[in-house]
Amino acid sequence: MLRALPDLTICQQMEMSSLSTSPARQKLENLLNKSMRIRMTDGRTLVGLFLCTDRDCNVILGSAQEFLKSTDSFSQGEPRVLGLAMIPGHHVVSIEVEAESLLTA
Amino acid sequence: MVMKSSMEEDEAGWGLGIPEKMKNNANWVDITQDFKGACKELNLGELLHDKLFGLFEAMSAIEMMDPKMDAGMIGNQVNRKVLNFEQAVKDGAIRVSDLSLPELIGIMDTCFCCLITWLEGHSLAQTVFTCLYVHNPDLIQDSAMKAFALGILKVCDIAREKVNKAAVFEEEDFQAMTYGFKMANNVTDLRVTGMLKDVEDDLQRRVKSTRIRQGEQRDPEVELEHQQCLALFSRIKFTRLLLTGLIAFTKKETSSVSEAQKLMSQAADLLPAIHSTLHHGVQSQNDTTKGDHPIMMGFEPLVNQRLLPPTFPRYAKIIKREEMVNYFSKLIDRIKTVCEVINTTNLHGILDFFCEFSEQSPCVLSRSLLQTTFLIDNKKVFGTHLMQDMMKDALRSFVSPPVLSPKCCLYNNPQAKDYIDSFVTHCSRPFCSLVQIHGHNRARQRDKLGHILEEFATLQDEAEKMDAALHSMLVKQEPQRQHLACLGTWILYHNLRIMIQYLLSGFELELYSMHEYYYIYWYLSEFLYAWLMSTLSRADSSQMAEERILEEQQKGRSSKKSKKKKKARPLSREITMSQAYQNMCAGMYKTMIALDMDGKVRKPKFELDSEQVRYEHRFAPFNSVVTPPPVHYIQFKEMSDLKKYSPALQSADLYMAASKHFQQARLILENLPSPDPEVNRILKVAKPNIVVMKLLAGGHKKETKALPEFDFSAHKYFPVVKII
Repeated sequence: MLRALPDLTICQQMEMSSLSTSPARQKLENLLNKSMRIRMTDGRTLVGLFLCTDRDCNVILGSAQEFLKSTDSFSQGEPRVLGLAMIPGHHVVSIEVEAESLLTA
Repeated sequence: MVMKSSMEEDEAGWGLGIPEKMKNNANWVDITQDFKGACKELNLGELLHDKLFGLFEAMSAIEMMDPKMDAGMIGNQVNRKVLNFEQAVKDGAIRVSDLSLPELIGIMDTCFCCLITWLEGHSLAQTVFTCLYVHNPDLIQDSAMKAFALGILKVCDIAREKVNKAAVFEEEDFQAMTYGFKMANNVTDLRVTGMLKDVEDDLQRRVKSTRIRQGEQRDPEVELEHQQCLALFSRIKFTRLLLTGLIAFTKKETSSVSEAQKLMSQAADLLPAIHSTLHHGVQSQNDTTKGDHPIMMGFEPLVNQRLLPPTFPRYAKIIKREEMVNYFSKLIDRIKTVCEVINTTNLHGILDFFCEFSEQSPCVLSRSLLQTTFLIDNKKVFGTHLMQDMMKDALRSFVSPPVLSPKCCLYNNPQAKDYIDSFVTHCSRPFCSLVQIHGHNRARQRDKLGHILEEFATLQDEAEKMDAALHSMLVKQEPQRQHLACLGTWILYHNLRIMIQYLLSGFELELYSMHEYYYIYWYLSEFLYAWLMSTLSRADSSQMAEERILEEQQKGRSSKKSKKKKKARPLSREITMSQAYQNMCAGMYKTMIALDMDGKVRKPKFELDSEQVRYEHRFAPFNSVVTPPPVHYIQFKEMSDLKKYSPALQSADLYMAASKHFQQARLILENLPSPDPEVNRILKVAKPNIVVMKLLAGGHKKETKALPEFDFSAHKYFPVVKII
């Protein structure tokens, strides 16, 4: 029993830490399910609901829509529906949220 | 209420629903630094997520900036303006009139390549509709280009309709989506073929006027024009013949099938002329700065990139022009073969036709055409025969059941008639499904064969009851006759064929591991082929009994009729072939056992499963079949136990026995009159295996640790065993 304990405590620690209310975590948790606009390294912008992130800033957006960069005149303004999309952290250029969603948080 | 519930669904799913507020331009606040900073405080591997969102959901997200998943990325990296047809015309990027001959030839050839790439399973948006001209043929002023664009659209439309109707495709075979493009529906087929014909006639005149005249000094420019006109003429005519051929398939009369065959032959005759003039067309330029799509006037590979569904994009590699001609000639050969089916009238013959056709792994279009030729819209075979009548004929020629013999009292008995009619009506659907299964691609067939066994098991049950009822009616009136296991034998025969095909196709699809071979081949040789042969001989004796009765009745009338000379039995060839197959399987079974004894079969370390688990999985579909009853693993182990032999068998004995089986198969096949390709293929395996087994029996390379190789290149189901 005792020998098994160290493993358990690591898990518990992880669990605890994720539950713990450090300000950073609190901040991120408040953003969950909010509309988010992410600009990627290739100039495209994705708009969707913030669902998930990790230490490397990989972000998953739900119901995401893809907007092309503004120089593209052809399909400007016509978003393409992507659904569930993961943006690798190193391709994230900027992250924006809706102002009102910050207020309600 | 309805509104509300759908709203709730949207919020619950993270799929494609778009929340209303995203559409408005809201005030966005930049939080990049905050966010990134907060992320750094998370632990390695920790995910911050909503309670309702887990790793499982995360897995189905598409990864942005990964070229395999991100369709938008490809379009975004190209540094050129992607123009649609109208914009391209306005910008002068493409012309709709005064197209030069080389331009026309090049555009048409690329269109053909796109057409074939589509038929090979890519989406229309990434193939045919990368050609801007087909987006709106109304805008084209050049008559040749316009007629051709309409022709290609019609070809696509008919092909799509045929494939959809036949329903023998899966997503890996064919993309039926049209992405809202118009398929020239505002113009009739007749009008399009007429337009093509007009262009064709014009071109023919030009060809004639540029033809070399006697004693004339040839101007190289005129000669070139002559060649190019001829090249364009061949392409336009080919399109027209292809289209007319496909239109013929949509007609209901059987005669139109032979018409289609004729048109296809004519189209094929033009292919050499197209092939030899490929160089006359403008070629695409491979500009590496613009992505790896070749650039070709009139084509914009990325024009539809935004239309692609948010699934993983498939990169459509358009085939090369040389391959295009080659593909067309094979496609036309296949379509011509399909037309042959109407010369087969017997249901068993038709089933064999479908099996044989499918063995070449034909394309989805030819498979679909075969289906729609077999069963026309009115649910009649070839548009003329009722499926029920076809099945009665098949029964008659297979087992000659008394109930279907005009000389039998049951023939005009209303109740017996009801019985047999309802039976064949019940058979109709499963048999149609069986035919349809053979239209699917090889890998899907196996799965579907496993499922249809359930339906045949039900039919088997009904057939046996029917036989019993008919027998009791028959013996009351004609005690010398019997009606035992007639219909049952027929269904059993099909059952066994399906089961055998199910097992054999596993070899073709490379599903089995080497250590599994022995029980698969055992099941085939000791069980299925044994049953098949007894079923066939029962059918044969049933036929003979019926013939005897007929003869006796005839003798009564005219005693002059002397005994007929002995005819070949109709089923004898199939019985002989089954013997050969059985020997091949038995030979392989014994080979595998002997190799195992010598430690030359690599076995997995069974940790989470066992041989029994695998065995049961392999034969699982057979559990729904009552006759023949499935052989369970325990039974198999008992039946195949070698311990019952004394003295105990050595591997050499088994190699010798295997060699004898292969020898037997060879003898049977070599004595067959008029050997077909299949016979020769089996012989190519049997002969080397006889020798290899004899060598192994003599202890050749007994000590080598190298595993034997199984070479399935000569035959799909039986390998040549190679000892290294």
